[in-house]
Amino acid sequence: MVEYSKIEFLAACASSHVRDGENVFGGTGLPLLAALLAKETHARNINLISEAGFIDARPREVPLSVADTRYYLGCSASIGLIETLGFILQAGHVDVGFLGAAQIDEYGNLNTTYIGPYESPKVRLPGSGGGNDIASSAKRLIIIMTHDKRKFVKQLDHLTSPGHLEGPGSREKWSMVGGGPEVVITDMCQMDFDPKTLKIRLMSVHPGYTVQNVLDNVMFDLIIPNDVPTTDEPTQEQIDVMHRLDPHGVYLGKGGS
Amino acid sequence: MVPDGSGLFWGGFGFQRPPIAFASELIRQKKRNLTIYTCGSEVDLEILVGAGVVPRLEIAFVAIEALGLANNMRRRVAEGKVEIEDYSNLAMAMRFLGGALNVPFMPLRSMMGTDMVAKSRYRGDEKLKVIDCPFTGEKICLVPSIQPDFSIIHAQRVDMSGNAQIDGIVGEDLEGSRCGKKLIILAEELVDEEEIRFAPEQTKIPAMYVDHVVITPFAAHPMMCHGYYDYDLEFLQMFHKITRKEETWQEYLDTYILGVENHTAYLDKIGWSRLNKLKAIKPRGY
Repeated sequence: MVEYSKIEFLAACASSHVRDGENVFGGTGLPLLAALLAKETHARNINLISEAGFIDARPREVPLSVADTRYYLGCSASIGLIETLGFILQAGHVDVGFLGAAQIDEYGNLNTTYIGPYESPKVRLPGSGGGNDIASSAKRLIIIMTHDKRKFVKQLDHLTSPGHLEGPGSREKWSMVGGGPEVVITDMCQMDFDPKTLKIRLMSVHPGYTVQNVLDNVMFDLIIPNDVPTTDEPTQEQIDVMHRLDPHGVYLGKGGS
Repeated sequence: MVPDGSGLFWGGFGFQRPPIAFASELIRQKKRNLTIYTCGSEVDLEILVGAGVVPRLEIAFVAIEALGLANNMRRRVAEGKVEIEDYSNLAMAMRFLGGALNVPFMPLRSMMGTDMVAKSRYRGDEKLKVIDCPFTGEKICLVPSIQPDFSIIHAQRVDMSGNAQIDGIVGEDLEGSRCGKKLIILAEELVDEEEIRFAPEQTKIPAMYVDHVVITPFAAHPMMCHGYYDYDLEFLQMFHKITRKEETWQEYLDTYILGVENHTAYLDKIGWSRLNKLKAIKPRGY
């Protein structure tokens, strides 16, 4: 029996969605840990890109910033932002991007900017950064969040980054380069998108949780298929690799957000 | 040199080469009503908005990345003292590129369909426009170019004539350094012209663009400067913690910014044994 924390489970689960040979936007935090884990295990030939300008990166320990020199050591090119977000991403060369968010709606649209009304915000969050660019132009998007009812909302306080917007045809209307979100992974379950409506659908539930737990923790009508399997547990190798990548527990040690 | 009310392109990216020494000096000189243009910045924006120097920003990102939210910014925005016009990183970089190219706007494929198009803090109609491309008919987003009063850039080294070399990533500093009306470079060290001419491909900013140079070692502390020093994680964590409360932030402001005469005095206060431990180990760069 492998012992793991919620965060470790989440990162391991997210990493399984990265395919070998892909061009991957890593960012920082849990998404980066998931991408690095994939690179150290089943997807050794991914091209890990950081928006600050690092290409084909192989950091030995987790960077704390997209511009951290830890990203530099061992990368094959170190350039700049127009290169990564422009020439690479907007030109359609990024296979998969990872994003987190403070709020998500049933079409996978994301809020990372404000909690509360725009006119008088209660909480200023980080903002888009490269998130909107990635959500607009990456071929696939993997969304990682800790599960909390207040985050899975019917109506976002602010739409920062596009998911499937208002459903079928929306992304085409804005001539978007990328295909939009593919999966949403939380510490409770995995979700994908119903191909017909492009609304979030339950995909699998993590060990120890039930479908009802998930339903109790979303504020929109989640699509539940007839068969909801249990998510695979992380392996001991995955846990060990994560601890080697984050020896100080910067990401593994905190609750994640 | 920077009058109240000026607009500044702000260099550096994330933890890399932020001109924090320049931000502290703006605070000591009691500058007011500055507008900051950048993709994203962290400790520097926290101290600028915390000290009331900057009421307006056009940015894509503010947080201390892995450490968490920007507490001072969060408080000042909630108090209504700071207004942020939100763009994406690529949008801001394109605005700087447009300014540098001396054209009025640039097109990009981001931001459409979101509240960054639907809502504006203060630019109103001047924030951006989504149009049908006159050539292809596709939807495209146009963002206005920026030519701010000053560009502030932190580089690794300069020579006497101002040739500035940047190692590692440049973020949006190539475009940013060329879009402002005046360019001020903070450099970690002054080197011989020969050293610059020996590695001209590292001269990311030729002297012809440069108006002023300030030699400022550890200009990014507690953040990092590629090949020169690592971030000071313990200090950074302390900074992030004290910014959670206005009282402790004010103590920090009095101690580390207003309570020191200049950047050299700040470094003395941090202590040279501490700073020397941060120095980069070659060849890893941090």
